[in-house]
Amino acid sequence: MKNLKLTKGLVALSTAALIAAFTVAVPTVARAADDCQETTILSGIKVVDIEKCTGTDMNKSKYEIIMPAKFNGTLMVYSHGIRYNVNLPAIPVVAPKGELINYAPEVAPSEEVAAALLAQGFALGGAGVQNQGWNLEEAVEAAFQVITIARDKYPKVSKVVAWGNSLGGLASQALAEQMPGAVDAVAPMCIADSAQSEITYAGDFLWGMKQFFNPAIKGTNYSAGQAGYVEMLTDLGTVLTTLGELSAAIAANPSAPVWPATSTVPAALKAIPVRSAVLLLGLISGVPTQSKTYDASSGPAGASETTFGLVISPPLAVLENGAQAAVLAVIANYDMEIRYGGVVFDNSKTDYTKRLGDDADVYAAALTGKSGIAGMLGYLSALNPAAPRVTANAAAVAKMSNIYQLQGKIEVPTIQLAATADHIAPAGAAQYLKNQYEASVDGNISKSGKLLTIWNKPADEYTTFSAAGSPVTPTVVTNGTQHCNYTTSQILAIAKLAASAAKTGKLPSNTAVKAAIKNEPNLFVDPNFSAPLLKFRQ
Amino acid sequence: MIRNKNMKRASLVSAVIATGAMVLSTLPAQAATPGVTASEIKLGISSPLTGSAGLSYGKVPGAMKAYFNYINANGGVYGRKINLISRDDKYLPTLAATQTTNLVLKDNVFALVGALGTATHSKAYKAAALAKNNVPDLFINTGFSGFTDKTKYPTTFMVLPTYAMEAKVMAKVIKDNFPGQASFLLAQDDEFGSDGVAGFKTAGHTFSATPILYPQGSMTAARAEGALSTLAAAAPGKPVLVLFGTTDVTATILKAAEKLELTKKFTFLAGSVGADANTLLALGVKSTTVDGIVSASFMPDAKDLTDPYVKQFSDINTKYNKGITFDNYVLAAMNSAMLTVQALRAAGKDLTRAGVISAIENKGAKFASAGLVPLGYSPTSRIGYNGYWVSQLNAKGEGKPYGGKLVVYSTDSGAGAVEVSTFVRPTMPKNGIPTNS
Repeated sequence: MKNLKLTKGLVALSTAALIAAFTVAVPTVARAADDCQETTILSGIKVVDIEKCTGTDMNKSKYEIIMPAKFNGTLMVYSHGIRYNVNLPAIPVVAPKGELINYAPEVAPSEEVAAALLAQGFALGGAGVQNQGWNLEEAVEAAFQVITIARDKYPKVSKVVAWGNSLGGLASQALAEQMPGAVDAVAPMCIADSAQSEITYAGDFLWGMKQFFNPAIKGTNYSAGQAGYVEMLTDLGTVLTTLGELSAAIAANPSAPVWPATSTVPAALKAIPVRSAVLLLGLISGVPTQSKTYDASSGPAGASETTFGLVISPPLAVLENGAQAAVLAVIANYDMEIRYGGVVFDNSKTDYTKRLGDDADVYAAALTGKSGIAGMLGYLSALNPAAPRVTANAAAVAKMSNIYQLQGKIEVPTIQLAATADHIAPAGAAQYLKNQYEASVDGNISKSGKLLTIWNKPADEYTTFSAAGSPVTPTVVTNGTQHCNYTTSQILAIAKLAASAAKTGKLPSNTAVKAAIKNEPNLFVDPNFSAPLLKFRQ
Repeated sequence: MIRNKNMKRASLVSAVIATGAMVLSTLPAQAATPGVTASEIKLGISSPLTGSAGLSYGKVPGAMKAYFNYINANGGVYGRKINLISRDDKYLPTLAATQTTNLVLKDNVFALVGALGTATHSKAYKAAALAKNNVPDLFINTGFSGFTDKTKYPTTFMVLPTYAMEAKVMAKVIKDNFPGQASFLLAQDDEFGSDGVAGFKTAGHTFSATPILYPQGSMTAARAEGALSTLAAAAPGKPVLVLFGTTDVTATILKAAEKLELTKKFTFLAGSVGADANTLLALGVKSTTVDGIVSASFMPDAKDLTDPYVKQFSDINTKYNKGITFDNYVLAAMNSAMLTVQALRAAGKDLTRAGVISAIENKGAKFASAGLVPLGYSPTSRIGYNGYWVSQLNAKGEGKPYGGKLVVYSTDSGAGAVEVSTFVRPTMPKNGIPTNS
């Protein structure tokens, strides 16, 4: 188990290098006239004639509508996932080449998916909102505007499917719930939970990193203006540096990795292998214990096979997943604090022992036993002044919570796709929609038979090891892990099912669903499968 | 909220609302009874076949299959043959969750049998939604008292007594047989060990030093030597050292004692999970060290061929499980298989999941089994065996009644007393084929 090659991008950073002359961008998009051009695209070897129209809607969001010459009558309106609302300099992992705010419209999860759908006669539409970040309201509006514009321009549109990824999935669902007459079917993929659920998920992990590993992490309460922007960038550097140190420590000694030098926890706590602390943070936050590299089910052949799967793989998975959760927390906290006018993350009353729950038994060995668990939770206790809790700004939270919250009031056929090891929008978000819908049915608000959840899970075992026994980072990201990491064929299967549902007004039959996913070994349907809700919901 | 900004909503809403009312449910139809046909009952087991735990527990599915094949060859259960599907979980929680889910969703089993391990099965139970699917979870191989919670695990039936019961019986053994001697505890630092610690505490037993707790998988030879050296120096005489862990850890500790020449310093009192003589010997513990180990058990010793159940299972193993040495794991697995057959029969010809659960609750306490202690199933109790007898291993690894006389103790997981039981084991069904008569 020596020489583990962990997350390669987690290199140490010079914080100063991050503080470049980037500022928060203020969009100045003006309303522009529609611009339509006839052109062609290639779908495989098939040439598809299309008309592509771009423009800016009444709310100044950019949109794009692509109409194939051989239109089948169904328009698919796509809502993209969250994008950074700040310009970022080159930062490993986060923005390797630097990144400007992206306002471009998106009509499908990928160009390949778009081409395939156009070749099948679907019209595609999508927008890019003028204020990026967590902007559910504008995302909903923008999607609605796309529908409106497309219907005006193309009266032959007879059916509309709203679909989207992550925040876009949430936007699609929110659109359908608020305006059920606007769409004929919905297909939320890797749906995000509410702003508060998501910020709690990522924020808990980040807060734990600060308490355990590096108190220099600010995490919340960023200053206004340029100073806050610098603080946010500094935090990104600190977080990545800390994660890099954790990776290096575990790589150097997987059995008993040491704590980062920046950690200020008592010496007694540092006697616990730091991998246990990483895992604990993942478990109390809800970070999946399977990642693109680590399946928590495999070990290198030989004497350490079981030990690796039991006590080393789960924390490495959390570290791999948590890196992006922590980065999300920094950027999302910064974004939301500006958007809502104050700190929105709150753990002032969080009971992390309750959060851990049964996982204390399941992962006892990896958490260095009950004694290790007690020591770590004791340190994170609200009673420990060395680990101060965060109290949110009530007005900011109220503002955040005033955004539309999903009701599960589903009136049109809805087919959602969710991965069991999604580390940004955990599967519990899809489960929440499922639960909300079932409650809505029970309350005679919705009719039954409107929601189908298709789960995407990784292969049973997928971690591979070199001849020397080191885990190998896969070149193709493991399906069922990472965020919205679906294959083209999986997405097309969902799209087609949703389009079929839009036409019939009913969910596809079991036979049709089975046929649609028969070549997708990682997809399954089971009405009784239940993913754990995000910790905020538990 | 959506803002009212020149949106062209009205026409869209009116145009499409009409379609909203015409949708019918297309939720998947439920099969009458999953995993049951006119000719077959499909059962599933998730347990370690490979990895370090596979060394000890890898025989379990094969032994259960052997017994089921024996039953199948003798008419099956009301004409249905039992098909046991086995999946390897390597004793890893995540993989156990995956494999259990596979058994339920992909293999479409009627029930699970003989799942092994607390960490593994508690994760698997939830992940595979066994409660929601009402999948009978039969005769699990863990003594974690948490599984007695019928609200949380409504379909689960334990076969082992709880670890708390075991600790209480051990406490009585120490009190009755080793008065005045110091006593120490080495225990796994998880729910297994904490159940044990709690049991000793309930029994009023105080160890001579704070129990040494170690996380699963962390007991190295060096750590064992350190602990033994410390404990040996802490008490004169021949203290009792309670080993509340798995057999591989018992082996590590005993080999450390051999290295330090401390094998005669302690009376080793090993828990039922950690005292399989065959495994100890296979892991390199000397027979002279094994000789004298005191242990608690609820099953007869697999080497005792005078026991009719043991003899019958041994014969079945010879014929249906060729090449596999008959030992305590095989015995326990076949015994659970026999319980399973009785549960299936008790549920009647019209086999349903609810029927099996109800049958065990109402009739399970009277099922025939090799266990030397009573079964505790009832509408309110999901605990299997309710007690222990105390054995002492000899150099051949045979477990003989401690003090030369078989004494069976029964107790509960709470504050109840440890009492000598008058339990009389049900006669073995003819040829080991239950008829539930």
